[in-house]
Amino acid sequence: MIATFPYWGNYTIAFRVLLENLGITVILPEKTNSRTIEQGVKFSPELFCFPFKVNVGNYLPALEKGANTIFMWENIRGSCRLRYYWIVQQKILREAGYKVKVLNLNSKNFFSEIKKIKNENKISLWQCLKAFLLAFKIIKLIEELEKKANFLRPREICPGQTDKILSQCFERLSKIKIKKFQEISSFQKQTLWKFSQIKIDKKLNPPKVGLVGEIYLISDSSLNFDLEKKLGQQGIEIHREMNLSHHIKKTAFPWIDWFLQRKIMPYLCSTVGGHGRDAIKEMLDCVKNDFDGVIQLLPFGCLPEVTVRPILTKIHQESGLPFLSLSLDEQVAEAGINTRLEAFVDVVKNHYENKKH
Amino acid sequence: MKTKNIRAFLGIDVGSISTNLVLIDINNQVLSSLYLRTQGNPIRAVQQGLKELRNQIPKNTEIIGVGATGSARYLAGVIIGADLIKNEITTHAKGASFFVPGVRTVIEIGGQDSKIIILENGVVVDFAMSLICAAGTGAFLDAQANRLKIPIEEFGAISLKSVKPTYISGRCTVFSESDMIHKQQIGHSIEDIAAGLCHSLVRNYFSAVAKGKNISGPIVFQGGVSENLGMRKAFELALGQKIIVPPHNTVIGAFGAALLVKEKMPEKTKFLGFEISDKDIKCASFQCAGCPNQCEVIETRIDKKIVSRWGDRCGKWSAV
Repeated sequence: MIATFPYWGNYTIAFRVLLENLGITVILPEKTNSRTIEQGVKFSPELFCFPFKVNVGNYLPALEKGANTIFMWENIRGSCRLRYYWIVQQKILREAGYKVKVLNLNSKNFFSEIKKIKNENKISLWQCLKAFLLAFKIIKLIEELEKKANFLRPREICPGQTDKILSQCFERLSKIKIKKFQEISSFQKQTLWKFSQIKIDKKLNPPKVGLVGEIYLISDSSLNFDLEKKLGQQGIEIHREMNLSHHIKKTAFPWIDWFLQRKIMPYLCSTVGGHGRDAIKEMLDCVKNDFDGVIQLLPFGCLPEVTVRPILTKIHQESGLPFLSLSLDEQVAEAGINTRLEAFVDVVKNHYENKKH
Repeated sequence: MKTKNIRAFLGIDVGSISTNLVLIDINNQVLSSLYLRTQGNPIRAVQQGLKELRNQIPKNTEIIGVGATGSARYLAGVIIGADLIKNEITTHAKGASFFVPGVRTVIEIGGQDSKIIILENGVVVDFAMSLICAAGTGAFLDAQANRLKIPIEEFGAISLKSVKPTYISGRCTVFSESDMIHKQQIGHSIEDIAAGLCHSLVRNYFSAVAKGKNISGPIVFQGGVSENLGMRKAFELALGQKIIVPPHNTVIGAFGAALLVKEKMPEKTKFLGFEISDKDIKCASFQCAGCPNQCEVIETRIDKKIVSRWGDRCGKWSAV
C-alpha cells in the first residue's frame, strides 16, 4: 500500500507522522497552489464544494508518483457533503484512468479498518496506539505554534520576524522523522525558546478579531491567502477557536454539541450540518469578550456556512460588532480579498478607537 | 525675489474604467481635477494624467504628499511614489463625509464594482462590495447603452423622458440583455427601456450589494454612475428620500486619498516628480519556482531599473 491523503495546511505533517508510524509508505500530496487548484477544478464536478476540488488537485501529483491508496476521512458526526467526498473522488479518479482506492474511514468502520492495516503491516497494538497519540500531540503542537504566532504578530518590534521563525519551524518539523514522544517535546522546547527570543511590545493591546467559518479554509493558509498573516502584520490579533483538535474532541465527546446547542438557542434550534452552530457560538463569544470584529470564511456554496450567514449578520446588527463574510473559491482573485480586508481593518480600528472614548 | 510655492497634495484613483487625479491645497480647496479613461493600461493612464495635470497647474506648485487608491493602487503607488496607499472604501467615505458632514450612507457605483458604505459619526462601521457579478455597475450600463446606440453621456437625460419605465430583469447581465432585446422587439420605446435599465440596476444593487444593510439618511450617491440623471431618479424612487450628489462626485475617491495624505502629513514626500510621465515604465510577471507556493511575482522597471516587486508570499522577491 502506497498512500497519500488530502493536503491540509500544517496538519499535513501530523497525518504523515500518523501513517508512517502505522507502517505505511507515504507519498505526500502536493501543497495547494494555483496549478493544483486548476488541475482539481478540471477533474471535479462544477458545483461541488471548493475543498473537494482542492483535494483532487493535491492527489494528482502524488498519484503520478505511484500512490495507489488515498486516505479520506469521512465526516464523522456531522452532515455535509464531506460524506460523499470519498466515493465521488474515487469515481472521478478511476474514470480519469488512475488505479486508485479511496479508503474511507468513518465512525462505523474506523476500528476494523485500522485493525486490518495493523495486521497487514505487522505492528503491535501499542505501536498502533502510539501512532495516533504522536499524531494528536503534533496536532496540538501545530495549533499551539499557530496560536502563539497570532499573538506575537501584531506585537513584534521588527515586522516579519514571527513569520520567518514560524515557517522555519514548520519546515524543520516536516523534514524530521518522528518516532518517539521525546522528539516532539525536544522540538517543542527548542521552538518555544526561539519564539521567546522575538522582541515584542508587551504593553500593546491590539484590536482583536475572531475568525470563524469552515474548518478547512480557516486553518489552511495556502487557501485563505495567508489571512492570519496579513491581518497580523496590519496590527490585528486573530483569535481562532475552530481547529482540528476541537473537531476531534467533538467527535470523541458528543455531548459537547448539547452544550453548544443550549448556548445558541435564541438564534438556531437545530443543527445545520458542518460547523454551522460553532460559528454562531464563536461569534457570540466574540461579542461577550469585547472583540473588535469577526471574519467568516466559507467556501463558495458551503451549505452550513451559507445557512448561518444571515444569523451572523443579525448578531452583527444587534451588537454593532464589525463583521465581514468572505466566500472563497477558484474564481476569487486575491486583489478583491485584499481590498475588503484592508477596508475591514480600517473599520476594526475605528471600532477599537471608539471603544476607548 | 523667489515667489512662494503653492503647496499641494495629490490624490490619484486608478480604477478599472477611469483614472482620476485631484490636486488640493492646504485649505482642502480643489486646485485641479482630472477624469481619464484607463483603457486597460493603468501605467499609461497615470503617465498621461500627470502630463495633463502639469499643463493645468502653475509652475510654482510644489507637491508635498501623494495618496493612491483604486484597484491599481499598488501599481500606481509604485510608479508615482505614493506616501499613502489606501483602499477605495476608506477614501470614498472620507471624501463623502467632507462634503456632507454627518452622512450615514454612501452609495458608490463605479466602472467594475459597486459599494455601500455605512458611517456613524464620520467613521465607517460597515461596508459591502459587489462580488464577481458585473450587473449593477457602470460597465453594465455602458454595454447596454452601446446596444441601444445611445451615447452613455445622454443616457440619463433620455431615460428621464420616460413616462412608464419598462420592467427589465436585473439579476444578471446576460439575462438582462436578452430581456432588453425582447422588450425592444415587442415595441417598447427607447426612453422606457433606458429608464427600465436604471430601475433594474437599482434593484440589483439593493439585492446584491446593499442587502441586509441599515440604510438611513443623509444618503450620498457618488462614483462615475452618479453622473447619470436617470440613476439618481431611480435611487430616489427606490429609497423614497432625497439623495445628495456631492461636488466632484466622479473623482471623490482621489479627493479622499488627497485628504487622507494631508492628514498624515508626510515629512518628506516620496513623489518621483512629473518627469515620470516621460520615462519608460514596464511591468512584467513571472512564476517563482522556489517552493510549492508558486507565487506570481510582478516586477516594475522604470528606465530598465527594477524599482519594486510584489506578489510573493515569502518576501524573497519583494525585498529588493
